[in-house]
Formats: sequence, structure tokens, C-alpha cells
Amino acid sequence: MSAVLDVVLSSAFLAAVLRVSTPYLLAAFGGLVAERAGVSNIALEGQMLSAACTGALVAGYSGSVALGALCGVGVATLLGLLLAALRLELGADVIIAGIGLNLLASGGTAYAVFTLLDDKGGTSGLKSGSLPAVPLPGIDSIPLLGDVISGQNMVTWLAFLTAPVIAWLFYRARFGFHLRAVGEMPDAAASVGIPVRRVQYTGLALSGALAGLAGVFLSMGYVSFFVRDMTAGRGFIALAAVFLGGLRPWGVFLAALGFGAAEALAVQLGTLDVPPQLVSTIPYAMTLVALAVYAWRRRRQAGVEVAASV
Amino acid sequence: MTGTLVETEDRRQYKATRRRGLTVDLSMTLATILAALAIGFLVMLLTGNDPVGAYEAMLTGPLERSFRVGRWLEDATTLTLLGLSVAIPFRARQISLGAESQLYAGALAAAAVAVFLPLPPVVAVIVPLVAAAAAGAGMGLVPGAMKARLGANEIVATLMLNAIVVRVYDYLVNGPLKEPGSSAVHSKSIQQDSALTPLSDWFGIPLGRANVGLLLMVFTAVALWLLITRTPLGYRIRMTGSNPEFAEYGGIRVPRVIEWSFVIGGAVAGLAGAHLVQGVYGRLEPGLAGSLAFEGIVVALLARNNPLVVVVAGLFYSYLRAGGDIMEQQTDVGTEIVVVIQAVIVLLVTAQALPDLLKRRLARREVAGR
Repeated sequence: MSAVLDVVLSSAFLAAVLRVSTPYLLAAFGGLVAERAGVSNIALEGQMLSAACTGALVAGYSGSVALGALCGVGVATLLGLLLAALRLELGADVIIAGIGLNLLASGGTAYAVFTLLDDKGGTSGLKSGSLPAVPLPGIDSIPLLGDVISGQNMVTWLAFLTAPVIAWLFYRARFGFHLRAVGEMPDAAASVGIPVRRVQYTGLALSGALAGLAGVFLSMGYVSFFVRDMTAGRGFIALAAVFLGGLRPWGVFLAALGFGAAEALAVQLGTLDVPPQLVSTIPYAMTLVALAVYAWRRRRQAGVEVAASV
Repeated sequence: MTGTLVETEDRRQYKATRRRGLTVDLSMTLATILAALAIGFLVMLLTGNDPVGAYEAMLTGPLERSFRVGRWLEDATTLTLLGLSVAIPFRARQISLGAESQLYAGALAAAAVAVFLPLPPVVAVIVPLVAAAAAGAGMGLVPGAMKARLGANEIVATLMLNAIVVRVYDYLVNGPLKEPGSSAVHSKSIQQDSALTPLSDWFGIPLGRANVGLLLMVFTAVALWLLITRTPLGYRIRMTGSNPEFAEYGGIRVPRVIEWSFVIGGAVAGLAGAHLVQGVYGRLEPGLAGSLAFEGIVVALLARNNPLVVVVAGLFYSYLRAGGDIMEQQTDVGTEIVVVIQAVIVLLVTAQALPDLLKRRLARREVAGR
């Protein structure tokens, strides 16, 4: 047990938590924005994957990391708009359309990489570089804190900054009010003159962009190349964080951080005598239980309200 | 006398409507497939490949040698079972994405019996199958009960369950169930008597790993079709899917029906796991199912959740998969183009307003042309 504690309290572990949480945070906020706009974004996974692939490919061929990141986020944004268009213009089931987009991303990225580089695995043969880390002069000499937060990737900083920004957007900005109103009751929102479609398109674009940033981090921060299906289900986990966090910005923040911490722990414990696969099931089991408890409480509340109104 | 005359007249009309519905369904499906293939053609053309050669290899390849036919049939068996497993909850309008967890649970149960429990012949084949179906059903019951009794979101519940079961499976195959003394990661092989008989034994031509699981799959599809169209439970499932409030009002216990749809789907996915263990690999291997579980969803969608059509869709789909592999060997085109084509099929199927939109466009053009 003390060995486990040593691992958990080390600065390397805490730094790893921040790093591993980054894609979860960004994708979860993406999922949150879409969910609150009333359109579940199951395609987070595919948007991340497309962004990761596009980012590495563009950066590799153009030599510009910034351009790569920009194109990656751009592609994911377009996929968000495509999902919105499928839902709003063509009456598609948003879950099934999301599954379709995920398939498209999985096949499309692998096809693109194979066609361009003749490589089944990924873009490791292409030098694409990664987004810069942010050293913090002054702070990096402070014992524990410096090791943890100095030298983190710029996307990690962006991810953590996203939380207050989303909270502000939701509860202080006009767009956030509109977004929540549209998600809650589109007809009522339309009746007071909120442009429902435009709000949903914007929300889905923002959702895609955030997922795209998460994907770009994977291939241009976490590592510096694209690997086939490298998102490995992170988009779905982010979606779980959205529900586990009760659809509130800070709740989602904590849930995503929890998933990141659990994954980092699973990696660290691999060196000890604990099966890492079993450790990594903990957050999912937690989500499952939380989902049940949350639903049960909501149902009981609804039951009380019905009883009171009779 | 007149009564029976009216009845036969009614019956005739009813049958005609059904036939027309089926024709529309079939032609829509066909149009979707052709459109998706056309888009695949364009993608290959734009990426500098030779689409004609690629499609030739893809569409004729699987039939050229008997073992390729075997590969196709073996793949189609698993894929169709998975498609059937989601078609049932889909019929009750439950978006169950849990086929993966149910398949792995089934595979584990089948292997546990088939590797470790000595049984007389015939029984040795059946007991693991039953165990797999039971394990899959149990795995389906979890999200089913959560949805039916608590109203918990079934999409998140099934995704979480998948994540858990895949990891536990990975742990078991790498740890306690790993064959001792073997350098590669897999379990001990199943006993000879538990194997599903290869079709090669019957037909005397090499058919790879295709096995009697194929018949089991067809039998399952017919059974599910009968269940959906000819039994009270099937009626309740359809009612729940088309209008849950009305179903509830009509005295159907909707939560119970939802639970059953998950349990039945889970049992079928469990059989898919058993087929992989007893028919295809003969043991547990890491990542047994690959991406098949999600592709089962595509098959069910393409077949509009009609169990008999799922068989056709599954055969078609596996044909593309098998053809894609051959295409990659013979041409420069990656097999991934098949996944792209699949994705386009999904998007076209779900874009319900697309046909109407096209019709309106055409009508407008006609008006403008005059």
C-alpha cells in the first residue's frame, strides 16, 4: 500500500495526471456544449481522431506545427457542422449519425495515412513535431509545484483554462443562455426569438473544435505522430464524464480530471504488482454506479413531484 | 359467406401493402449501397488510385477460391449474429451499444466450459453455447434493467460496460487464463468435442474456418423473425418501439419489454462470442472481436432491423470486408476504403429526409424547366 502512496504523491505522477487529463477535459467540454445545445455528440471520438491525423499530416508536410494544429481543429469543427447539418437538415438520428461519423473518421484517417505514406500503423515515418511546452521561469524551481506545472504542453494550459471560460459562457454570456434555452426547450426558445438553428450550429461547431483540440494534443503534444485509432475510446469516456458531471461545467471538469487520474494511476501501477487493466476499470465502474444513482434520484424526485401535484 | 369474402379481400390488400413495403425497403437499400459504392469510387479516383481495378478485385475476389468463400462465411456468421443482437433492442427503440461487452462475456463463458469441463460429445458443443447465451443475456440485463427500472441512459451504460468488460477480458487472457508455458498470449485450446464442425468436413472442399455456426446463425435469424412478427412479446417490442406512451396506455408493461429486448439481444451477442471461440479461433485470443461489434450496428441499420434482412445485409457486408482484404493484396488501395463505404452507408441510411429532399429538388427543377 505504501508503494501505491509513494507513486500517487510523486510529482511525476501529478504531472502525468495533468497531461493525461488534457484530452479528456477538452473532449468532455466539447460533449457538454453539444449536450446542452440539445444534440448529443457521439462523434467526439471521430472528431478527435480526424484532428489528430490531419494535424500530424499537415504539420509533417508543411513543416509548420501551428498550421497543422489549426487544420486539425478546423477539420473537427467541420465534422461538428456536418453532424448538425445531418440532424437539422436531413432529420438524421443524431446517435446513429455520430456512429457513422466515427466510422468515417476511423476508415478515412487510416485510408489517408496508408495512401500518403504506405504505412498501416501511423505517421511515425513523417517528422511532424509537436506543440511547444510552456516552461515557467521562477516557478520551476519551487520543489513540488514546479515539477508538476512547469513544462506542461500549451494545450494542457488551454484545457484547464477552458473550464472557467465554459462556466462563464454558460452562465454569464448571452450565447450561453441561448444555448441552454435551445437545449432545454427549442420551441420556447424559438418563440422568444432565439435563432434555434444558428445556436445549434454554433454549439456543434464549438463542440467539434474542442474535440479537435483534444485530438491535436494527442498527435502533437502527447506524442509527435499519429497512430491508427489512437483515440482508443477517449471520446466515449469524455461523453461519460459529461453525464457523470451532471451536465455542469465544474462537475464535468472534476469527472474528466478523475478519468485522467485513474488512467495515469493505471499506467503508474503497471510497474507494481497490480494488474493495470483492473485498475483502469475503476472510473468506468464508478460512472456506471453514478449513472444509476443519478437516474434513481431523478426518478424519485419526479415521483415526489407527481405525488405532490395530485 | 360474404364475411369470408371480405376477409380474403382484406387479406389480399394487406398482403399487397406488405409486398409494396418490402419492395420499397429493398430498393431503398439497394440505392443506398450503390450510392455508397459510387462515393467510394470517387474517393479512390481523387486519391490517385485505380477504382475500376480495385472494385474488380473487391467484388470478384471473395468467390475466386473456396477458402476465400470460407473466410467470407465465417466472418458473416459473427457479423450477422452481432447485427441481430442489436436489431432487437433497436426494434424497441433502445440504442444498445453493448454488443461488445456481451460478446466478450459470451466468449469467456463458452471458453470456460469448452476448455475446462469434460463433457460427452454433442453435449460438449451445446453446453458452451448455452453458457455463452446466458452470459451475454446477463450482460445485457445490466443496462436493460438500469434503463427500464431507473431510466438511466442506455448509451452511456452500455459504453461503460464495454470498457469494463474489454479490460477484464484483456486481464484474464493475459493473466489467469493464459496458456502456461506459451510465449504468445492466448488461452488453452478448447477440447476437440466442443468445436463447431468445420463446413469443410461436410463439403469436402477447403472452406477455411467456416463452420456449422453458419446454420446456427440462420436458425437464430429465423427464430428472431418469428419472435418479432408472430409472438405477443414481439408485438410488445414493436409497440414499445413505435410509441411507448401508447403501448403503456394499451396495457403493455413497457419496462418489462425493454428489459427483455436487452436480454434477448445480449444472448445473441453471446452466441457470436461462442462462435468465435468454438468455431473460429478454438481458444481465447486478445482483441477477439476487433471492431465487429460496432459494424454489427451498421448491419442492423442497413437491414432496418428486420432479422431476415439482417442475414442478407450481414452477408453483403462481410463480402465487402473480405473483398477489401483481397483488394489490398492485389492493388495499392487500402482495405480501409471499405470502412469509408460503410460509414457512408450509415450516414445515408440515417439521413431520412434525404429522399424527400431529392424529390423536391427534382420537382422544382421540372417546374423551372417548363
